[in-house]
Amino acid sequence: QVSVLYFARSAELAGLRSETLWVPRHITSLQLWEEIVKAHPRLAVIRDQVVFAVRQEYVLLGDQLLVLQPGDEVAIIPPISGG
Amino acid sequence: MDESEDVPKDFIKLKSEKLSVDEVSELVVSPCCGASSLFIGTTRNNFEGKKVIHLEYEAYTSMAETEIQKICRDVRQKWPSVKHIAVHHRLGVVPITEASVIIAVSSPHRAESLEAVMYCINTLKASVPIWKKEIYEDEYSWKENKECFWANSKK
Repeated sequence: QVSVLYFARSAELAGLRSETLWVPRHITSLQLWEEIVKAHPRLAVIRDQVVFAVRQEYVLLGDQLLVLQPGDEVAIIPPISGG
Repeated sequence: MDESEDVPKDFIKLKSEKLSVDEVSELVVSPCCGASSLFIGTTRNNFEGKKVIHLEYEAYTSMAETEIQKICRDVRQKWPSVKHIAVHHRLGVVPITEASVIIAVSSPHRAESLEAVMYCINTLKASVPIWKKEIYEDEYSWKENKECFWANSKK
């Protein structure tokens, strides 16, 4: 069970800023994305632009295997524009 | 001033109030430093012919602070003589001509602080989870930095 945080355009598309999601402890980053899109189909349009931040470390969408702990924070990170 | 108190410090702040150039430059003052360099990023009033009304910033605050701390660590590795570093970024609504980011670095001689400030702003734009929304007269747009490190690799 992880906390998913939505920012910027992803928050607008999902319609919320955060939620709790139940996911397998071992999951690839791409599979995690697919779980999230199942819950919020409108997010599909930004798939090629986003990355994750898992426990505040960037993770690209792909085959990388994540080992998630209960309460971990997973953030959807659209292309950044600070500064 | 007690010399032993003058250890190198990083001053990182994300806040919604107006930023102050005086405040940020005061933070990096040090008796051993002959140079302070400053960068101020401000809101422009136009983009591709459209009139910008104002900007709105949001951040993944805890991670943004951590990423800025990493930038400060990198700066100190590359330019060991750098003394103090201050990075203030505004969140929320930023009106035209007001500052969205101020970066100040002090060092004994000017070359290091000038280079370090440039490195800070360039790396901030590539890696810190902060987002800017440009508000026009009848629409808005989430901006994307060309420096964004994954946007380039995916295209």
